[in-house]
Amino acid sequence: MKLIPCPLNGPRPVGEFACLGPAKPMPADDAAPEAWADFAYAEDNPAGPILEWWLHVPSGTMFVAERDTVTDTMIRTLWPADFRAAGGRP
Amino acid sequence: MVFALLRYGLGRRHTPFRVLPPTPATLKPSYDVVVIGGGGHGLATAYYLAKDHGITNVAVLERGWLAGGNTARNTAIIRSNYLTPEGVAFYDESVRLYRRLSNDLGINTMVSERGHLTLAHTDAAMRTMRWRAEVNKSLKVDSEVVGPDEIARLCPELDLSRDKRYPILGALYHAPGSIARHDAVAWGYAMGASQRGVEIHQGTEVQSLEIENGRITGVVTNRGRIACGRVVQAVAGRSSEVARMAGLTLPIRTVPLQACVSEPVKPVLDPIIVSGSLHVYISQSARGEFVMGGATDPYALYSSRSTFEFKEVLMADMLELFPFLGHARVLRQWAGMADMTPDFSPVMGLTPVQNYFIDSGWGTWGFKATPVCGLTMAQTIATGTPHPLIEGFRLDRFSRFAQLGERGAASVGH
Amino acid sequence: MTDTRLPAPFGRGIDRTRTIAFSFEGKTYTGHPGDTVATALAANGVRVISRSFKYRRPRGLFSLGGFDANTLVQVGPEPNVPADRLPLVEGLPPISPQNTDGPVARDPGAVMGLFSRFLPVGFYYRTFFRPLGAWARFEKIIRTRAGLGRIDPKSPPPPHVRTRHLFCDVAIVGGGPTGIAAALAAASNGADVILVEAEPVLGGFARAMPADAFPTLAADIAHLDAANIRVLSGAVAQGLFSDGFLTAESRTDLFKIRSSTVVLATGVAEQPIVFRNNDLPGVMTAGTVRRLLHVHGIRPGTRAVVCTADDSGWDAAADLRAAGVTVEMVADLRAAAGEATATARAALSAVPFRFSTAPYEALSQGGGLYGAPLSAVRLCGFDANATVGTVTEPIACDLLVVSGGSAPMAQLAAHAGARLTPDPDRGFVISDLRSQIFLAGSVDGRTAPDTATADGAHVGAIAAKSALAAVPPTGTVRDGAVKAVPDRPPVTARTAHPFPVVRHPAGKAFVDTDEDLVIEDVENAVEDGFAHPELLKRWSTLGMGPGQGRQTTLMGLRILAAKRGMAPAALGPTTVRPPFTGERFQALAGEGFHPHRTSPMHHRHEALGAQQMVAGLWHRPAWYGPDRDKAIAEEVAAVRGACGLIDVSTLGKLEVRGPDAARFLDRAYAGAHTAQPVGRCRYALLLDVGGNVGDDGVVARLADDHFYVTGTTGQSDATYRLLVWLNANWGLDVDITAVTGAYAAVSLAGPRARRVLRAAGTDLDLSPANFPHLGAREGTVAGIPARLLRVGFVGELGWEIHVPADQGTALWDALVIAGRAEGIRPAGVEAQRILRLEKGHVIVGQDTDGLTHPDEAGLGWAVAKKKPFYWGKAAVDFRRAEGLRHILFGFRLKDPAAAPPPESCLVVEDGRDVGRVTSAATSVACGGVVGLATLPADWPKAGRAFSIRLPDGTLSPAEMIAMPAYDPDGARLEPEPAEAPEAKP
Repeated sequence: MKLIPCPLNGPRPVGEFACLGPAKPMPADDAAPEAWADFAYAEDNPAGPILEWWLHVPSGTMFVAERDTVTDTMIRTLWPADFRAAGGRP
Repeated sequence: MVFALLRYGLGRRHTPFRVLPPTPATLKPSYDVVVIGGGGHGLATAYYLAKDHGITNVAVLERGWLAGGNTARNTAIIRSNYLTPEGVAFYDESVRLYRRLSNDLGINTMVSERGHLTLAHTDAAMRTMRWRAEVNKSLKVDSEVVGPDEIARLCPELDLSRDKRYPILGALYHAPGSIARHDAVAWGYAMGASQRGVEIHQGTEVQSLEIENGRITGVVTNRGRIACGRVVQAVAGRSSEVARMAGLTLPIRTVPLQACVSEPVKPVLDPIIVSGSLHVYISQSARGEFVMGGATDPYALYSSRSTFEFKEVLMADMLELFPFLGHARVLRQWAGMADMTPDFSPVMGLTPVQNYFIDSGWGTWGFKATPVCGLTMAQTIATGTPHPLIEGFRLDRFSRFAQLGERGAASVGH
Repeated sequence: MTDTRLPAPFGRGIDRTRTIAFSFEGKTYTGHPGDTVATALAANGVRVISRSFKYRRPRGLFSLGGFDANTLVQVGPEPNVPADRLPLVEGLPPISPQNTDGPVARDPGAVMGLFSRFLPVGFYYRTFFRPLGAWARFEKIIRTRAGLGRIDPKSPPPPHVRTRHLFCDVAIVGGGPTGIAAALAAASNGADVILVEAEPVLGGFARAMPADAFPTLAADIAHLDAANIRVLSGAVAQGLFSDGFLTAESRTDLFKIRSSTVVLATGVAEQPIVFRNNDLPGVMTAGTVRRLLHVHGIRPGTRAVVCTADDSGWDAAADLRAAGVTVEMVADLRAAAGEATATARAALSAVPFRFSTAPYEALSQGGGLYGAPLSAVRLCGFDANATVGTVTEPIACDLLVVSGGSAPMAQLAAHAGARLTPDPDRGFVISDLRSQIFLAGSVDGRTAPDTATADGAHVGAIAAKSALAAVPPTGTVRDGAVKAVPDRPPVTARTAHPFPVVRHPAGKAFVDTDEDLVIEDVENAVEDGFAHPELLKRWSTLGMGPGQGRQTTLMGLRILAAKRGMAPAALGPTTVRPPFTGERFQALAGEGFHPHRTSPMHHRHEALGAQQMVAGLWHRPAWYGPDRDKAIAEEVAAVRGACGLIDVSTLGKLEVRGPDAARFLDRAYAGAHTAQPVGRCRYALLLDVGGNVGDDGVVARLADDHFYVTGTTGQSDATYRLLVWLNANWGLDVDITAVTGAYAAVSLAGPRARRVLRAAGTDLDLSPANFPHLGAREGTVAGIPARLLRVGFVGELGWEIHVPADQGTALWDALVIAGRAEGIRPAGVEAQRILRLEKGHVIVGQDTDGLTHPDEAGLGWAVAKKKPFYWGKAAVDFRRAEGLRHILFGFRLKDPAAAPPPESCLVVEDGRDVGRVTSAATSVACGGVVGLATLPADWPKAGRAFSIRLPDGTLSPAEMIAMPAYDPDGARLEPEPAEAPEAKP
């Protein structure tokens, strides 16, 4: 089973995690419906590095991970606060 | 019919059964239609363009070997017992086309009507089965909810005991559910298309698309640039990457879908069995192999790597249904790359780029749509207007939060 | 039966002092411990073990390593067991050959061979489909002919296979001299080592050699134990997955091995020579012959001819001579022998030999239609271009030893993503390994036996170094410095013959014995257009049999390349996928864990005779008692007339705390929660980003900065994930904890609920004024600390009482005792569904479908109109503006005596589907069947008639009714309005 580097618990089997999809900047509260539809459904879906939300389920640890979708290797992880501080961008 | 074989056997030399054409030495400078993707869908589209619309100046571009993507990796189930009226009507046309496909194409696609049972283990699942059955019946699709007695008659091998973790409460029975020889479907379309003048170029990768004033003007490949009238992409698993070349962002996530096959044994399982709650499905091929699969992988990946946990989970559940299969052996496992959409319905038809057409978002259902997809896409490309059967699958539905919810027919009902 | 056993020193691997009996094809045979079933059969002179897949040709021992389908047998209920991998032990079930219609030596099915010329490659694609519908008939016949062994659905399942999780620094696959040396070197460098070997006994290729060829082997094996190396013998390494995750399967265990580094010392697979009738029983590889001699003490024949393209054939010839077998001839495909052959040749002084010579055809006699084992061979001249020269007269023999050289056993490396590059002299070369995977010994081209130990020692040391360096800094620092790494021996220049393919005008030269494919099949596939290796594989099924192409891929590719006019090694192999060899479903399923959840009061429900229903992972009481309808009716009556007790422990439960808790809930949920007073409950409606109803429940404010939130059973995980994800994006100062399992909960409801609660004892003032409807309080019930939410899902006076999970049973018991005098009755999910339906209360997931706008579910009232933001707002507003098509509305059937329509029946109008029944039940209180249905949004409301189409197609007349159908003004929620406030105790 693949290992995922949880920033809190260290490497753990992937079965303990839930991937919650791409991590990207959320539209403003009052953004136009189109912006929200884009946020909800459109995906870059790159073949290569992507930022994603991961949850270590047993410990409830949420983090952002950069992962290569071709090689399935984890490049780095960051805490949500750091992701937000960067404006939700890599 | 068997005379062909007799003649063959009595002849001294092999009479080639020219199924796949050799790749032409060069690309023409221009084609009326360029089909990106030489899988089942692309080949079927080219075939119907030539056959139904007389458009034969067509190039099918395949970056690897013919039908080597998801066409080669699926588990070859055909059915139309979907949940949305749009889905049911669309797949029902596919079932109809499949029934006579061998005879239309002149190659045995081994379409075998075995019956399809989707098991329900909870009352919530029973409600979904009833919903599907009623929608199906409205569209004259043979589909009904059956109880344990009828299930026992259709598949006596199932463990129907009630004191199980997931007792079988009932099932959706779809008599037209079939399996087929998936590769042969694509080969047959390739044969039919090339006989009508379509060029099929293997080892030809599209590297970029030239766009001017909202139109594709050129397709740049590793074997040179082509000018084109219209372009269609049919590249399940790579849809987002190719659409990006046309400046499009899709509501698609690429996720592996794994499957495995057992060593062959004598026939023991007649129908196709699916369990949504247990996330497994199984059929026995004409070769005697059990062909099995489960749910998609839990995160995005452009890789056909296999995992152990897939088999582990699959078998724990499979043996709940069929304890005697503990004696069988897995021969091989593999994975395809599925285009998952938010609503589990495809994304087909026109795009904001005028002469660019899209056939994507097949999720786990691309194979069963192959004929109807070719038929409808060909007409859409030829006329510039969406075929009525695919109007609901338009790309722009998501910008209106208008999903075409097919999840209820999903989980693992590939 | 012929006595084929040889005296010592042959047969080092068997215990001659003991004899084990077994049954094959109804006859009893004997062998010795150390035998496999296949070798025991060979010892008894049984030469035909199976029949081939397509032509039903007789097949016998060929590779002796589980590499081909020849030895697959049926062992009792288990099909397709490789007899050459099955140790002979006491008590084996009866063994029978597969794919035969009679005795395996005289299979009438062999008639198929006569039709071989009518069955070209891909023949079934060409025919059997005209006229329309023909395939259905032909397929019936073809299906019965296909398949190998049998599985009887009535046979009892096999015993569970244990799953064992193992951890180490270095995992080594292959217990031959290389793997053993690697293990010792890794251990001596401080690594914790696991060694995996498919055979029951260590030694690998050395076992197939005379004892003096590897004098240190026994001592090395003994050292493994001293070095604390865990040896898993009889365990086939089946797959190597991401991050070096290795799995292995033995008869009794499935091993899941997690290591820092992996060493693959998997060796090589002998390659066949392709010539006419190369599949006859009696044709076998050099390695097979040597193992039969040295391990099992079996004389594989009396008169042998050896045809080889490498040195191993010469070694086999020498061993055969030593065992007293007459070696008629050694034919070498090469122009000259390799250097290593000098010794073997010296021992063969009297044996005629020829270079540039190949087997032309194997011959058999006396078998007639059924076929028979080998009786003679004709040889031919053979040059570097594979041109056939002069053909000899038949040479009588009962053993034909073949060796086309060897190719690396690269399967595991390939599973882990390595690249296999074709190479004319070495089959192919493995490269691009993941960083934690290492190759050692012959799999990496070092095939000379005398270099195995040195190479293992080298790679083992490196792997240990790498593994220990990879131990994270926080890990334990190991004792013992890393020792100097010995040098690597050189790669053997040539291990495989570039093209050991001998043409014969009459064909039957098998490239793939598993699938019965001959040279012409490969060539004809190319003419049919299947020139790519992957397409060839699919059209012809080359390499798709149980042997997984270990001995077919290379030859198939070379013939394909030659046909396409390319150099022999121009084409690379097709993708190699797990498992290594047939992997039992039972082993994969392990102990078959199926997690399920039960409420803390589950045993009480069981004792009360509850019928359980499955809801996700949960078991919930559906009703209590043997008679469904009677039980449900009584439970409903109890709630409406007295008091019901419903276990609602499965509800999703969350604690939301922190300074921003109210703000967070206001942003996440559709309702207004900032202004929600402490001590009050509000309906909690959670939408998705697309404006669809996702979950509902109750938000209870316990303090300014503390909320207790419930949700539906099915959505609890999804809701928790959505909420923590939302806050990861928003960064509010709030903490969200899932406490579903931490609390037990009951719903106590009915006109006498207050009396029951008081009787149970509580420190709370239950008076209507001080604990009004939608109040929330913390206090005690029967001395148990509890949270009480006064809610009315079932439409009666009632409380949800939440207590710590371990107090759930105590609470249940206290309420049951306290309620006895009031007529309390436990009620199940079914009764609750009827009760709430009478009130028109929606069940999310039943009356909504995942794409339901709150307005469509009649929940528009629960969406705050003035909030600037809540999750899903943009979509809610947009879709509302676009116009909604459906609305959930109440209905009743016109016929009061009718049975309820099955839920999900459609509403039809003018032959079109216009809606759907989402809930329906017979209601005593409402005097007939009532329900909820999605109906066109523009239909006039209450009173409109419509039709529901029942499953049999008949129409059931119905009409729309306003909900709630029961107690529309909610008077029942407070049956004692006049009651004065009570004093606090």
